[in-house]
Amino acid sequence: MPASQDIQGIIRRVAEIIIDELKLEDVTAETFSPDMDLVDELGIDSMDLATIALVLQDEYRVTIDEDDYPKLKTIRLISEYIKDKLPVRH
Amino acid sequence: MQVNSIAAPESSKPKFSELLAHPDVKARWEKVRKYFFLRESTYDMSNRCNIRCDGCYYYEGEKQFAREVGDVEAWRELMKSEKARGITYVVLAGAEPSLVPELLEVCYQTMPLGSIATNGFKKIPESVGYKLHISVWGNDETSLRIRKAKNLLKKQIENYENDPRAVFVYTFTRDNIDEVKEVTEELVAHNCRLTFNVFSAPVGYTGNLRHDDESLGRTRQSMIELLNQYPRHVLFSVYNAVAHTHPKGLHDLYSCSYPRQNPSQDIGLGRSFRQYRTDLNWDRSVACCVPDTDCVDCRHYAAGSAVVTARLYRHANSLAAFKSWLDYVDTYLAVWVMGYEKGENLCNEIIEPPQAAIS
Repeated sequence: MPASQDIQGIIRRVAEIIIDELKLEDVTAETFSPDMDLVDELGIDSMDLATIALVLQDEYRVTIDEDDYPKLKTIRLISEYIKDKLPVRH
Repeated sequence: MQVNSIAAPESSKPKFSELLAHPDVKARWEKVRKYFFLRESTYDMSNRCNIRCDGCYYYEGEKQFAREVGDVEAWRELMKSEKARGITYVVLAGAEPSLVPELLEVCYQTMPLGSIATNGFKKIPESVGYKLHISVWGNDETSLRIRKAKNLLKKQIENYENDPRAVFVYTFTRDNIDEVKEVTEELVAHNCRLTFNVFSAPVGYTGNLRHDDESLGRTRQSMIELLNQYPRHVLFSVYNAVAHTHPKGLHDLYSCSYPRQNPSQDIGLGRSFRQYRTDLNWDRSVACCVPDTDCVDCRHYAAGSAVVTARLYRHANSLAAFKSWLDYVDTYLAVWVMGYEKGENLCNEIIEPPQAAIS
């Protein structure tokens, strides 16, 4: 189970996963802007996104539909997508 | 050989980390993912050819009438601008690139990764360090009949024997399936490496080369037999054979991601791919790797290299499917990237493509 399922916690974890999977060196989870356009500004492509989606699925046990990839353009959008799919806690 | 379905229910899908827990899978994944940076576009280099083949895709549609730009500086500028917009891999094709070696040199100087589709009749200078895909459509008797070229295989081998750039691409048509064995033996005897393509009819094509279900079945059987017989020389996998000889074409199976069939410009090929004509213009509505192919019949090796490879997500739903996908990507890289060496295939079972049952 991921450490935190509030939106800030998810944003931080998504940033960590992207940094780890893409082997980014000039950014940390703290400095990674959640609103940076991952395609336009970071240059990630469909294969990178598919890899990140698979790792996030493992982490949060949610399904990230292939057809939804084009919507997932920033860390914030990815995080909100995941949060919406997580079971509601009471 | 047993056919396995991979339409695993959601609940029984393994985690991605569980797939990667297998050391052979993890090693292959790490090997292929280093090349995820490749972003391709294709370029028609000349509207001339030194032979004329039945079923040639180039001489269909409008592109054959485009003005030929032979100015090396114009090509240099194009390559620079392509690099600037993120393209990292070029495919130089139509009609016959070997007729414009000065343009090939300029492209290679600016864009070091790429490949050239050639008929192999005229040798491309060794200073052009791209992969060379030499098209073979049967034995010399068939080549004379279909391509009006005498001693073509002999000439191709003379030009490219022991050339590390060269991959011979045997295109299976409906009427040359029985010749592949002798052609493969000849190529292997000269230490040439080969891969397989499946004839995909151009739009409006009415000739005899178009496949039917029976010929696709025989093609698959021949591919697998030769793969097993010559694993060092035949760059292929069982899953390649499945994907390219399935009764459904590549678009039905995998949803083609080239702009011609993909309206999305958000990410991937729909965003970055262009197919330039000889006048250095391009048209999104017809852009794909083999323009003027009938999409319903498309089983082209070049199309699969992008379309199957892009479907990582769909193949991560069982160990056998993921291994099959890795074999496919490993094959694609060995065929298209200089210096990449193919590993041993991980899955020798026949695995149905993920969407085959539902598309």
